[in-house]
This record gives sequence, C-alpha cells and structure tokens, in this order.
Amino acid sequence: MRPAAKIAAGTVVVLATYVYLVLERPGASGTGALVALAGYLLGSVLIGLGAVDRLSTSSVTLIPVAMAINIVVGQLALATGIPLYLDSIGIVIAGVLAGPAAGAATGVLTCVIWGLTANPTIMPFAVTAAEIGVAAGLIGMLGGFRKPWWAALAGLLTGVVSALVSAPISAFVYGGVTTSAGTTAITGAFQAYGASLFAATTLQGLLSDPLDKTVTFTVAFVILLALPARFRQRFAFARRYRVFATGVGSEGR
Amino acid sequence: MIRLESLSYRYAETPTTVLRQISLTIPKGQLVGVVGPSGAGKTTLAQVMSGFIPHVFGGEVTGAVTVAGRSVRNTPLPLLVSDIGLVSQNPFNQLSGAKFSVAEELAFGLENLGVPRGEMVSRVDETLRRLRIAHLAERSPYQLSGGQQQLVAIGSMMVMRPGVLVLDEPTSQLDPAGSGLVFDALGELRERGVTVVLIEHKLEQLAEVADRILALVDGELRMDGPPSTVLAADELADWGIGRTRFTAAAVAAATHWPCGRPLPVTLAEAAAGFAEGAP
Amino acid sequence: MTQDFYRPGTSLIHRWNPVTTLSLSLTLVVTAFASQALWLPAALLVFVVFPAALVSGVFRRLLAWLARFLLPVILLLFVIQGLYHQDGPLLDLGPVGVHLDGVLFATRTALRLLVLTGAFLLLLFTTHPGELMTALVAHGMPPKISYLVSATMQIVPAFRQRAHSILDAQRARGLRTAAGPIGRVRALVPLVGPLVLGALSEVDERAVAMEARAFGATTRRTSYTVIADSAAQRVSRWSMLVITIAVIVLSATGVIR
Repeated sequence: MRPAAKIAAGTVVVLATYVYLVLERPGASGTGALVALAGYLLGSVLIGLGAVDRLSTSSVTLIPVAMAINIVVGQLALATGIPLYLDSIGIVIAGVLAGPAAGAATGVLTCVIWGLTANPTIMPFAVTAAEIGVAAGLIGMLGGFRKPWWAALAGLLTGVVSALVSAPISAFVYGGVTTSAGTTAITGAFQAYGASLFAATTLQGLLSDPLDKTVTFTVAFVILLALPARFRQRFAFARRYRVFATGVGSEGR
Repeated sequence: MIRLESLSYRYAETPTTVLRQISLTIPKGQLVGVVGPSGAGKTTLAQVMSGFIPHVFGGEVTGAVTVAGRSVRNTPLPLLVSDIGLVSQNPFNQLSGAKFSVAEELAFGLENLGVPRGEMVSRVDETLRRLRIAHLAERSPYQLSGGQQQLVAIGSMMVMRPGVLVLDEPTSQLDPAGSGLVFDALGELRERGVTVVLIEHKLEQLAEVADRILALVDGELRMDGPPSTVLAADELADWGIGRTRFTAAAVAAATHWPCGRPLPVTLAEAAAGFAEGAP
Repeated sequence: MTQDFYRPGTSLIHRWNPVTTLSLSLTLVVTAFASQALWLPAALLVFVVFPAALVSGVFRRLLAWLARFLLPVILLLFVIQGLYHQDGPLLDLGPVGVHLDGVLFATRTALRLLVLTGAFLLLLFTTHPGELMTALVAHGMPPKISYLVSATMQIVPAFRQRAHSILDAQRARGLRTAAGPIGRVRALVPLVGPLVLGALSEVDERAVAMEARAFGATTRRTSYTVIADSAAQRVSRWSMLVITIAVIVLSATGVIR
C-alpha cells in the first residue's frame, strides 16, 4: 500500500504543521513562515504523489477536464465580479465521481497549474485545494450527494475546514494580506480589536470560505444531477459507494 | 482476426439495445468499410471491435467477441490494445495533451510501450513523411486545423503498428487531397497484412479501397458483401445512407445504362458501362 | 488571463536542465523564509534573482510582473501592518499611529514575497513547461503527473474559447449581463452549465484515446525527447538540496534567527 502510505504521511505532515503553528504560536516573522511553507509544500507533494498513483486511466482523463473547469469557471466568476471564487467546482466533481484521491490530485495540481500559467503566488494554497477534493470524495462516499441540502451542508462544513487550513498560509506567508482590499481590511480590523494575525486570518476565512463552498457544492450537485446516469456510473468509485441516488438523472431507471 | 458471434450490446442504465445479434468474421488483411445512417450504432461497433466495450464503457454485452485471437471479455485492456488501434471521431479529444509538439505527440504511444529511442525516432519520421505532415513536426498539436489534427490522430495510431486498426470517420475534416492520402495509406497497411475497419461517409472513395462493405441500420447488420453489390443496392437510399455519384448517375441516366448490367460504384465501372450503353 | 510566461531564448539559464532551474527557485524560496534578518531576502533578490534575470534577458519582464502581482499586496501590507501592530507607536498621529514592529514585519514579508514570486517567475520565463515535465519524469516523477499538468495547460485555452462563444451566443439572444450579485450569479448559470456538461461528455473519448495509446501499460517507459544535462549541473543540484535541508534544520533548531 505505498500510495496510501504517501497520502497518510502527507496528511500527517500537514496536520503536524498546523498543530505546531497553533500550539507553539511562533512569531509570524521567524520559524512560523518557514514551517508553514515547507510543511504544507511537503505535505501537498506527498498527497499529490500518493493520490496520482492510485488513479485508473478513466480517472486520470477526468482530472485535466475537471481542472480546466476550475480555471475557466473561476475566471468567469472573477470577470463577472461576483463576490465568490467558484474556482473549485471541478475539484468537487472529480472527488465525488472518482474518489478522495482523484479530488486531492485535482486540487493540488490545479494550484500548480494556476501557478504555472497565471499567478505563482497561489501555489502555497495547494493544501486547501487538496482538502476540498478529499472532503468531496468522503462526502460522496457517505451519501452526501444524494440530496441537495446535504450537499449544501457538506459544502458549508468543508468551507469551515478550508478556512482553518488556509489561515496559517495567509498569516505566516502573506502577512494577512491578499489581493482583495476587502478581505485584507477585515483581517486588519480583527487585528485592531486585539486578535493575533493567525486568529485574524482564521476569522476572515470563516467569514468568506463557508459561503463560497456552500455555493460551489450546490452548483456541483446540480451539474452532477444533469449528467447522464450512464456517465456517472462509469466511475468505479461512484458505483461502489452508490454515491448518487438511483432513479434520479436524465436516463435513470 | 475479428470475430463477432450474435453480439448484442446495451449501455449501462439505458433501456435501448444499440447493437442486435451481429455475427461476422473479418479475416486478417481485409479492409472493411462500414456504412450506415447516424445513430445506427457504427461508433459503438467500432468500440466493440477495438475492445473498449465493455472494458472502458461498461454496459451489457451478450454473445462473443474475439479480436486478434483473444476473447475481448477475458483479456485485460492493456494486453488487448497492444495489437489494436482505434481512431475516433473528434481529433481534438484524441490529442493526448501530454505533448507540446506533433513529433512528440506521435511518439507518445511508443514511449508508453517502452520502444527504444532509436526505433521510435525512425518510426515517427516515417509516419510524418507518409502523411505529409513533416513540416508540422515542431508545431503544437493544439494549433493545427481540424484536418491536420485528424492526420496526427491517424498517425499516432499508425506509428504503433497495430495488427487491427479501427477508424471512425477519420477524414471528416479533411479536404479531398487529405482524405486521398489517408485512403492510400490505409490501402498500404492492408497490403502489409493489417486488418482495417473503416467507418466512412465518403462512399466513392470507400468503393475504390474497400474489400467488403457492412451496412449497419438500427443496430442490425443489414448487408454484408463486396462494394459492388452493397453500395449499388437500392435499399441504401431508403436507409438514409445515400449512394455514390456513379450509381446515382446510372440511375438518373437509366436509358443510357445497359440493361441488366449491375449499377456502377466506381469511376471505372461507370465509364465502362456508359461506353457500352452509348449508341 | 493565462500567460505564456515562457519565451524561447539562448541564455545560459535557458539552456539549463529545467530541474536545475527549479532547484534554484526552491532553494531561494526556502532560504528567504528561513531567517528574520531583513538583509537575507534582500541579498537573495539583489545578488541572485536580479542578476539571473539580467543574464537570461528577462529582467524588465520580471520587474513588470512582480509589480503586477505584488505591488497592491505590498501597499496593503504596509498600510495594515504598519497601522495595526501591537506595540507602542513609532509615530503618533492621533487615532492611528505608525508602529516600528509593523513596518519591520511588512518589510520582511514584502521582501520574502518578492523572492518567492521572483524565483518562480524566473523559472517560468526561462523554462518551457513541457520540457520541465519531461525533465521531471526523467528524474522519477510519475508520468501521470506530467500528463495531468500538460493536458490541462493545453485544454484550458480551448475551453476558454468555448466559454467566450457561449457568452457571445447568449448576448446575441439578448441575455443581459445583469446588475447586482444575485443577478450576475443567475447570468452565470446558463453559461457554466453547457460548458461544464460539454467538457465532461468528452471524458470518455479522451479515456479511450489514452488507453489506445497504451497509457495504462505497465512497461518501463522510454522518452522521445532528450533533455540536456551535465555533471556540473548535477553537482550544483545536489549542493542546493544540501543547502535547503541545512537551512530548514538550522532554522527549525533555532541556530538561524
């Protein structure tokens, strides 16, 4: 089980990094930044490598399409000027159809490609994207994609976890500042009320991520529902865990 | 080389049967054309003959399929496809995406098979020359026209030298010169003993090159025979397959066509018939 | 929005094995984040990143892109951290004050971000993504990862074109890009739906094409493209790895502050 061992090791590294940063509260200036960066980088590389090993050719061909969906829809959302990112719809679709490993790989690699082609500053957030993919896969496994409100609730919870996971990167690597003046001002306001930088970025994340992920999961649910049942059932993961309600969809029996 | 025994197929989660009770044997080195209206099940048949049904698509198969001496159902896909090539309809989806130049794209399958580099280079060069795309070798496959992409897709299968090659409308985006090139190349492959199955709408060119024509309608094999009989049949027009220009000309100019002579499907047959029928 | 960062060139760095350039970028980033000293990231920027950019002829583009990515971030960083930091103010301006700690923190973060982004832009400007992937596979990265990265980079432009044509078609049908956030989300739905469903429906054909080309084969793969490498580059990569590990260890154990 080497791939599983890599995923486990990567997850342990990420969790250890997070726990260290929460417990030790290193200054954002010193070791905190390096630990956050190196720990998350190593963790996401391990998770990415392990996840890709496990994938079948069908899942592998799904992933570039899922990543292209992330990027194009994310850019459309940005261009329309709505206050949501919507840049992880493809991650959720890949996770639900092909499992947590496919979701994690889609997440990590979306960040890598986004970094390679549009904006290198996004790459340190690869772990958050992996977390979203794993969460989508697990939620699919537990039947969370059989009913719309379960999917929405799952999105909300995933968003809470995302906020927690990305907070150290925002705080220790970016000093609490993003390209958006709005979120930066919120982080600053929390600090002005006496919160530490880490606490401030966590709170700021908790304000925006859960909403974004609720919408993302709901949109992904609607898209998956619109797919022909024949396509959804092509994925061994979706069949084995009966991810979708039977008798629903355009060609259901 | 390819053997179907009362094959029927239904996609997963759908009630309709796409292929019904098809039985046929295609010997090694035969070039077989498949014609039929859209929705007849031609693409599905191509996927069955190349082993991707049921391995990739799932669904319910009854009857037996043997390709290159192997039972499709009981052979793992990587082993099965090592000797079978499939060129499907949309060239954009056939580009691997893994490669940034046409030469590398052609080499992709050979890399996966572990072919030594020296041989890989010579096979890629040969294919580039054969399909007259050597000038595109360094271009990105994604910046080519649809027709050029189709040539790359065909080349990326030819370069792997499969014993069985199945092509699903491989010339739909090519101009007459380009499709002539493809038909010639397929004819050469047949001479080398490759079994070729070609789904094609261009009936005139099919009549020139094919040894045999299958007419598929509503998932059933309605006709199976040499081009001169199948393509000249009256039913083809009723089934929405159409007919060759030469057949149509002979029907339209019935008074000039010798009584009792079979209708022509190639230029040569038409010329001979009209010469005889001329007063 | 997607950039073709890479431009062909003949400079020393262009001719490097992509893995060497990648190693340099990672070493620079780790070192910049290892110490609290302000001079360290500044020195890396002035003595490594900028000279390397000059040598490879990408200096002006590097500055332009650094400004584009980081200028707004750095300005905000100084405003927020300069004003909101915890210790006593450096300069009292009534309700707001400028804090020394905050200014130091903002300077340090800004310098680090400049090294982080600069090092990666240097890599992207001088390295063709396809060659980077081929070189990484030659160094043991699974070919599946190379496929995933390359395929996505090549599919995205085609998808973006489709998105534009769907958008145009809907505008032609009189669908207005509505005002207000909810209106705009609603306008997005008829756009995203066909795009995503169309894209997913192609997955089957792609899977077949990949299988037909033996992507699932378990044989040991060979490579058509040969990427140049040299003993000197191998030695420098190993040294950079040793430096990176040393820096992390020294920083974590508190030897470097």
